[in-house]
Amino acid sequence: MLQRLRENKAWQGTLLALPTTLWLFFLLVIPLFLTLVVSFGSRSPDGGVIYGFSFHNYLRLMGYSTNCPGGQASCFDPLYAQILWRSLTLAFWTTVIVILLAYPLAYFIARSHPRRRNTFLMLVLVPLWTNFVIRVYAWMMLLREQGVINGVLGWVAARLGLSFEPLQMLYTPGAVLVGMVYEFLPFMILPIFTSLEKIELPLYEAAADLGANPFRTFLRVTLPLSMPGVVAGTILVFIPVMGTFIVSDLLGGKQVILVGNLIQNQFLSARDPTFGSAASLILMIMTLIVTYFYTRKFGFGEEIIAA
Amino acid sequence: MSKNLLFKLLALTIAFSLTLAACGGGQQAESTCPEPEPRMEVTSKELNLFVWTEYIPTEWKTCFEEVYGVKVNHDEYSSNEEMYAKLSAGGTNYDLVQPTDYIVGLMIRQGLLQKIDQSKLPMSTFDPNYLNLPFDPGNEYTIPYQAGTDAIIYNADKVTNPPKSFADLWNPEYAGRMVFLDDSRVIIGMTLLTLGYDVNTTDPAQLEEAKVKLAELVPNVKLFDSDSPKTALIAGDVDLGITWTGEAFTANQENPAFTYVYPTEGAILWQDNWAIPTGAPHLDAAYAWINYTMQGNMFWLMLRDFPYVNPSLAALEYAKENQPDLYNAYMNSPITNVPQEAIDAGHRIEDVGDATPLYDRIWTEVKGGE
Repeated sequence: MLQRLRENKAWQGTLLALPTTLWLFFLLVIPLFLTLVVSFGSRSPDGGVIYGFSFHNYLRLMGYSTNCPGGQASCFDPLYAQILWRSLTLAFWTTVIVILLAYPLAYFIARSHPRRRNTFLMLVLVPLWTNFVIRVYAWMMLLREQGVINGVLGWVAARLGLSFEPLQMLYTPGAVLVGMVYEFLPFMILPIFTSLEKIELPLYEAAADLGANPFRTFLRVTLPLSMPGVVAGTILVFIPVMGTFIVSDLLGGKQVILVGNLIQNQFLSARDPTFGSAASLILMIMTLIVTYFYTRKFGFGEEIIAA
Repeated sequence: MSKNLLFKLLALTIAFSLTLAACGGGQQAESTCPEPEPRMEVTSKELNLFVWTEYIPTEWKTCFEEVYGVKVNHDEYSSNEEMYAKLSAGGTNYDLVQPTDYIVGLMIRQGLLQKIDQSKLPMSTFDPNYLNLPFDPGNEYTIPYQAGTDAIIYNADKVTNPPKSFADLWNPEYAGRMVFLDDSRVIIGMTLLTLGYDVNTTDPAQLEEAKVKLAELVPNVKLFDSDSPKTALIAGDVDLGITWTGEAFTANQENPAFTYVYPTEGAILWQDNWAIPTGAPHLDAAYAWINYTMQGNMFWLMLRDFPYVNPSLAALEYAKENQPDLYNAYMNSPITNVPQEAIDAGHRIEDVGDATPLYDRIWTEVKGGE
């Protein structure tokens, strides 16, 4: 038996993949299937699931409404589409800003002396040792009306003899964006760093020999070769930002409802798991579509594995 | 640092921790835990509580473990919905939960609670005002734990023209200075009250009207927070808002300028309760726990740690004799000692069944609309 296993490469592969396959089957495939089943059902008065096969939850998300102000039988209700759109644009801008900030830093680390490189990488990773939510609370202390930033600004203004009105930073959309960028920055720096580090120096020498100036070298050599890192980072940042709501709740003062809030509310205060399941699946499908087109254009990020 | 110094420091640390351990041991020998009266027969070795975050005094746990030799495990939740979702998913083995009034009926209908045996409970220690309420007539399934109100709070140092009613909150003067509870039922409910409608209405037309009115107010609200609304008030980020008893009392103790107002439309009244889930594995320990913690010499700790409206006459009596400062602070504050007319004018949130998604839809729209 063991002898045969040793000779049969195909069997070895199957056996090695078995634990992960089982894991994914029980913890991903089955729950997803249940979510799909529930999403076709409808809500009972007490918030249970009446199983059935109806698309009304999906239609409701797309904007089909039977509860119209004018009394018509049906009308278009843009509310849920707006929420999806808002989450999408927030995720987009977060990702763009994170790329713009992470790329120069990753470049700096990749070009620094190898002895210092590990120190810099460590500094990027150290904040991740503290819990995500606690770091958001730290931002709240900084941004408050009577917080650290306003305190320092007020002190400086008083020294200079200027009048100072505390800035309103906490509980604004700007605070949400700052918090999001802060939380996800390391997930962009690391993959970009990995791909930049892999570019071999002779390539630059070759570019210089062929008459390219530094700017042109960056555009034609560095940037294309580091794209896998950018793609991997984008996937690592964009997908979680789409579904997150802790940052916007704490720094935005819960004034804004994102897809994540919408889904959470369905399972808690609204007690409508069928609508919540449909919204979860739509979120997943939307994310898949965006990721699919993105990776088709730029190639799939191999650095995701390296990171 | 020389090796010698290091050694000395180490020795000092060890000596210090030994002293501490000795002191700890000494404290254990002379127990401060009151005796249970009556001592009940408990054969269970464990008790599983499922309670609100920060809602039971730590002494209860250590003392119950000490006098009954039962290990107390406790899980926490931060909303009734979370507790309900967990219990209705099944597979839990909790012996006691703390549902709020409006969710009790739903839990009974879903068969999540079992009937309680009043003969085994200290029923006479409760203020009758908190018994036999509409959500559980005759207290077949629940007994009171703590009660409270949701009403208006303002900082008298900063608000020159204080609100008297929920309707006053629409005053443009307060724009950007308010914190509201992140609770769709309470906030939509108070809007319904300003329109003269029932706080539990299921009429779509009335709800539509409330939605339009609330949509005007939401941009004036700086933040929604149901976890700790007092934080933003005390930190000075906001000057007024809607909050509940415990938060208001704590804020007021911190800074007496924080004033709690029962609005003219009537405040929202609520009550948290003890209940026993169906299939609770340690019934004997659950009854012993309630009896022990409801003793006046145990329940007074609630006045110290969680200043809400206290339904235990025994606890108030004990505090009057032994903790006069706490007792006076409690009795003299209209936040905890709610005036009778405020109770009479108050409203209770009830489960609205099929209209629940409609409330959520309105909540999503007023917060999420463009």
